[in-house]
Amino acid sequence: VQSTEFSSTIETPDYVVKYMPMVSMDQRQSYKNDFNAEYDEYRLLHARVESITRRFTQLDAKCRKLAPGTKEYQKVQEEVLKEYKKMKQHSPNYHEEKQRCEYLHNKLAHIKRLIADFDQRRAQAWC
Amino acid sequence: PVEGSGEANCVDEILKEMTQLWPPPLTAIHTPCKTEPSKFPFPTKDPHPFPS
Repeated sequence: VQSTEFSSTIETPDYVVKYMPMVSMDQRQSYKNDFNAEYDEYRLLHARVESITRRFTQLDAKCRKLAPGTKEYQKVQEEVLKEYKKMKQHSPNYHEEKQRCEYLHNKLAHIKRLIADFDQRRAQAWC
Repeated sequence: PVEGSGEANCVDEILKEMTQLWPPPLTAIHTPCKTEPSKFPFPTKDPHPFPS
């Protein structure tokens, strides 16, 4: 189930206004083209954030297994700091990229939902 | 997060910030006219397919 959407504080995102329920196959094609136009960028950003998140989640799990104050614990803590500095160096725009990815995720999910709804209505109309 | 003072605190902050749940990526739009089963909580398979 793909209902995990990022919560947003913005009242009405621009894409909700731009992409209304579609009524024709031409419109469907144009929505799909728009989806595809941004999909590659989205996947790239998503993969980047995912790998960084995974790395820190691993370190976090390591930390939780160790007792604070021990040498091993201290070592993992230092590793976290090192990793964070490295991330800042390699991806100074990490936060912007993450935000952009969240926006794209919601936007593309919206377009995809409209297409699925349209397809479902069409499928029902054929029965 | 600021580095320097209170390194343990700082690490906690970093971990909290960097381990936020990241949902799996959206899949591409495939077939031109089929409904996508994964979109719906229930399988869309029709128990009674077209009469042959």
